[in-house]
Amino acid sequence: MLQDFLNQILPSTVGGLVIGSIYALVALGYTMVYGVLRLINFAHSEIFMIGTFASLVLLTAIAPAAPATFGIAMIGTLLLCMVVSAIASGGAAVLLETVAYRPLRKRGATKLAALISAIGASIFLQELFALEIIPWLTDKPGRNQASAPRFVPRDELFHIGNAAVRLDHVIVIIAAVLVMIALDQTVSKTRIGRGIRATAQDPEAAVLMGVSIDNIVRVTFLLGGAMAGVAGALYLMEIENTVFNVGFVLGIKAFTAAVLGGIGNLRGALLGGIVLGLIENWGAIFLGSQWKDVIAFTVLVIVLMFRPTGILGESLQRARA
Amino acid sequence: MLLEVKDINVHYGKIAALKGISLEVNEGEIVSLIGANGAGKTTTLKTISGLRPLTSGKILFNGEDISKTPGHKRVIMGIGQAPEGRGVFPGMTVQENLLMGAYTRKDDLTKDLDEVYGLFPRLAERRSQFGGTMSGGEQQMIAIGRALMTKPKVVLLDEPSMGLAPMLIAQIFSIIKEINSRGTTVLLVEQNAQQALKLSDRAYVLETGRVVKSAPGKDLLNDPSVREAYLGGH
Repeated sequence: MLQDFLNQILPSTVGGLVIGSIYALVALGYTMVYGVLRLINFAHSEIFMIGTFASLVLLTAIAPAAPATFGIAMIGTLLLCMVVSAIASGGAAVLLETVAYRPLRKRGATKLAALISAIGASIFLQELFALEIIPWLTDKPGRNQASAPRFVPRDELFHIGNAAVRLDHVIVIIAAVLVMIALDQTVSKTRIGRGIRATAQDPEAAVLMGVSIDNIVRVTFLLGGAMAGVAGALYLMEIENTVFNVGFVLGIKAFTAAVLGGIGNLRGALLGGIVLGLIENWGAIFLGSQWKDVIAFTVLVIVLMFRPTGILGESLQRARA
Repeated sequence: MLLEVKDINVHYGKIAALKGISLEVNEGEIVSLIGANGAGKTTTLKTISGLRPLTSGKILFNGEDISKTPGHKRVIMGIGQAPEGRGVFPGMTVQENLLMGAYTRKDDLTKDLDEVYGLFPRLAERRSQFGGTMSGGEQQMIAIGRALMTKPKVVLLDEPSMGLAPMLIAQIFSIIKEINSRGTTVLLVEQNAQQALKLSDRAYVLETGRVVKSAPGKDLLNDPSVREAYLGGH
């Protein structure tokens, strides 16, 4: 048992950091929307799914037979995937807000009504993609798994102990970190970022400063959606397939990560994502990888028993980011 | 006339909070709204600044009907407010809070910032402290300073003396006077009727969503029924 653990701890750590980075990117969208609207945007998992399909369509179109080698073409393809998925997911998130949430908000509906609308939008989007959009995009049945061509080679770059660190691992982690730094700077340094923080801390006072809540909400969905889009592009590059309900479990895990880190807190989302990725991979060494989901949610419950506000224990109201 | 409220009705759900309130504020005046809890003072201010929708009636600002203008645009037109409970952004520093007041402005802010710090030297000493860690009086200073940073023509102050020690109350009232003498019109809501009436050119007495009396501040100070109800009766 101990020998198993020692053999696998380093490879599991690498795997945990990779999937944790993706959880963290998706978690940002949950946490930002919660910070501004106090709403759990359950359809955010579908925004991520749309990101994976945007990259899938792009890759199928531009790289049908290209060999996976490292070079300018690969980097260009990767960046293009991230941009296209960010646009698709960001746009979808703004549309979702306009159709599913804004009308309720304008009529003064309760938070519970908005939550039901979110769950409805989640199922609606999954089924819409399974029944219509995926068959139209891929010419295959909408509930089948769709695979993406490989464009990033699985070259081993270096070893940490017995763990091989591959090019794709490094790409996911670096891309996620860079995108998160950009978001953090946007929220802490720009005018629109100040508007987002003010709205999260006191929406009425924000209006009295001349902040348009409608604009801030739209920008928040756009930014959170774009993060999920980048996550979708990276996920597709790493896992190389996707399906209409790919967002379901991953979305709940990302939401878990957001709560684990302290919902409403951007840096908490990052921390929560990484911690969750590591813990489920480490736990899988003992119990087998079929237990990953059980481990993830057990950890959530335990953490919340002792720290109900999450690890960082502060929210966007108080956090500088 | 700078601000004119014409027969406004405001509802929370089915409950009428304002039942036909009318009032006027001329340029350069200090006007107070006094009255008991639940009389509708705060709701009146929130309706003027656009945080609450009207059921009926009209609000004119500089002669323009702003009844349907969203709140964030009324700020740009020149209506600033220090809200009930102060509404300080707890996770922002004093300086960031003040700069939020200039959110819609693109001109140079140094002079206005200096002016606010001049009015409230206490804030200048603590400019990099977080708003949420400040005392009640300091938060009130932030709220007023922040409203001034919007460069308002009229500033709405909602219970600026609430929860403050007597010495601090006197200080806040003298600052309100100073702000007014520098050219900003003031609409003041106060439970502290004595102090408010002394300071005011005119005042309105509100009771359960209606204006029951309006007169120059000094007259109301000597009005027996007002003394009885709001000034402790002697």
